[in-house]
Amino acid sequence: MEKKAKKQIYLFHCAESEELARKVAEQSDSIQLQSIAWRKFDDGFPNLFINNAHDIRGQHVAFLASFSSPGVIFEQISAIFALPKLFIASFTLVLPFFPTGSFERMEEEGDVATAFTMARILSMIPKSRGGPTSVVIYDIHALQERFYFGDDVLPCFETGIPLLLQRLRQLPDADNITIAFPDDGAWKRFHMQLLNFPMVVCAKVREGDKRIVRIKEGIPEGRHVVIVDDLVQSGGTLIECQKVLTAHGAAKVSAYVTHAVFPKRSWERFVQNNADGSGNQFTYFWITDSCPFTVKEIDNRSPFEVISLASSIADALQI
Amino acid sequence: MASAYPSFHSLNPEPNPKPKPKVLSKPQSFRARFVPLVPRGKGAGIRSELTSLDFFQESTGGGGRLHVPQISPSSHMATSSASLAVVTSVALPPKRPKKNVLLFYCEEMRELAERIVLESDAIELRSISWRKFEDGFPNLFISNAHGIRGQHVAFLASFSSPKVIFEQLSIIYALPRLFISSFTVVLPFFPTGSYERMEDEGDVATAFTLARILSNTPISRGGPTSLVIFDIHALPERFYFGDYVLPCFESGVPLLKNRLQQLSDSENISIAFPDDGAWKRFHKQLQHFPVIICNKVREGNQRFVRLKEGDPRGRHVVIVDDLVQSGGTLIECQKVLAAHGAAKISAYVTHGIFPNQSWERFQYDNGVGPEHGMSNFWITDSCPLTVKEVQNRPPFEVLSLAGSIAAALQV
Repeated sequence: MEKKAKKQIYLFHCAESEELARKVAEQSDSIQLQSIAWRKFDDGFPNLFINNAHDIRGQHVAFLASFSSPGVIFEQISAIFALPKLFIASFTLVLPFFPTGSFERMEEEGDVATAFTMARILSMIPKSRGGPTSVVIYDIHALQERFYFGDDVLPCFETGIPLLLQRLRQLPDADNITIAFPDDGAWKRFHMQLLNFPMVVCAKVREGDKRIVRIKEGIPEGRHVVIVDDLVQSGGTLIECQKVLTAHGAAKVSAYVTHAVFPKRSWERFVQNNADGSGNQFTYFWITDSCPFTVKEIDNRSPFEVISLASSIADALQI
Repeated sequence: MASAYPSFHSLNPEPNPKPKPKVLSKPQSFRARFVPLVPRGKGAGIRSELTSLDFFQESTGGGGRLHVPQISPSSHMATSSASLAVVTSVALPPKRPKKNVLLFYCEEMRELAERIVLESDAIELRSISWRKFEDGFPNLFISNAHGIRGQHVAFLASFSSPKVIFEQLSIIYALPRLFISSFTVVLPFFPTGSYERMEDEGDVATAFTLARILSNTPISRGGPTSLVIFDIHALPERFYFGDYVLPCFESGVPLLKNRLQQLSDSENISIAFPDDGAWKRFHKQLQHFPVIICNKVREGNQRFVRLKEGDPRGRHVVIVDDLVQSGGTLIECQKVLAAHGAAKISAYVTHGIFPNQSWERFQYDNGVGPEHGMSNFWITDSCPLTVKEVQNRPPFEVLSLAGSIAAALQV
């Protein structure tokens, strides 16, 4: 059977994703790193130049984006809107972490769903000769968000779980692992990919004014329990889960999240051997490199271990 | 009752004192029957004679009825006229009732929004809760969303830097879907407009990006969103907008003209344009002033501002442009005008961008010569962050767009 010829991909990237872009390019001969000049005018608005714009004609082009804060969206969107119109053969946008996804709660009329704003902006990406732009997103927070995208883009939802599975197989106690989900949402998102493991599901329960995490189902006793979720913000939920699991006899507790958002350095409460004696609750804390600033800050401090999305992205670019 | 319609003199004054027929311009909505008279000389068109006009408005305050006494052809027409149509009653176009508009705004435009509301009873201020989540992304809430159903709604935006775009855009995309009857975005200053230079393939036109983003505003029940912009930098940028928005291009120059009329030396004003681009943008609105045009000329590696046409000698010269960034061009113009004998120099720009405090380069002339500074530097309140910094600092004077915006909201 003929092996499908690999597409040559020209990979552009935003400034903050340079390291991940390099790693992706290293995964394959068919991926070539390209550059954009990211300058600013005096008034703060972007002054961008796509280098070698002529050379990308007829080529498959990709852009590795990262919307770590609202301030960087406009400059990246300008490049994303410009690239497809340069006579390229196809365009793929890789946005590992889709922010705003966890805020979308239309409880009252008046709530503004910023996830919808974000999806709308991405849905406006012009078509290239290759048709609609593919938009690659890892572990999008709410599954229904896939329907927020218009027909002019092709959302491609990937997951970091296979990378976790690879890592778990390498552990000495690989046969003693139980997966725990901090809530039903996480269970819905991930259980199908983790069926060969025993599972524990937690739930937040209201007791008077307080909300407490309880174990809803499953048995952590004596197991190395790995809590799995798509992202972490303050880390409060994970810490509560860990306490409950330990109280129910878990031998070790680790965590995996695809997206280490950790606003305001909230990762510090997990670092082992903290001055105030906190930390040391987690044996491993696996995160991917979808959020480049946090990854830089954490700098592989124990218990954190970064699992790179590079190989997964390189594969997705061949779709 | 005061006459609602002006009477026009014929454009060719006749030498002999025949009684001049009063000419009324014919508004389209008139349902009067006029017989076209034989045209006389220039200014032909439909003329009729209506002498003593009695008209009054009906108490319902809608349109009015114009009652005209019967005019017999023999009374006072000149020889060459044909018989005059007899008009018994004519319906005036109904006075358009003011739209009630609910005005939302971004924080940095709060002051301008408050001024706009003072201009008209028909405009009401509404609020949005602008919070942030821990990770910096916006957490927004539109107060009283149910209460805006069926209403005309507007949003006063200001994209002073890229980082405030996303939160305002979220509101702009959300409001039209709340069952409002129409939506208007007022974006006095459209940034990125002056960067659009597609010289090389590889240049990224951010003006086009911004226009695209705005063009994707959802349609409300009132159809496409109106987008009000003052003095957009490049006139072709109007074509960047898709069909789902209706760009409405306004100008701040009428505010300048009003202000110039109030000056003690209003008879001695000349308008100077720093380049041909500014002339193209503005000369039609400033036709009754003597004009001076400058331009940039290359000499070796350097570029100099030179006087291209016009004479500043003894005049109070007002340099007019749409925006100012570093101010370099204006300062060069000022030097050239002073060297050519201008008595006083002032400047007007609609948009005082002044990145990095560049407004500090502009000194007040203190009544001394124009080489030392300017007499007046007028800017509008389209760029609120600058306004805060310069408001009480001569030579700066802020002309507010509030009245102009209040009127635009009635379109």
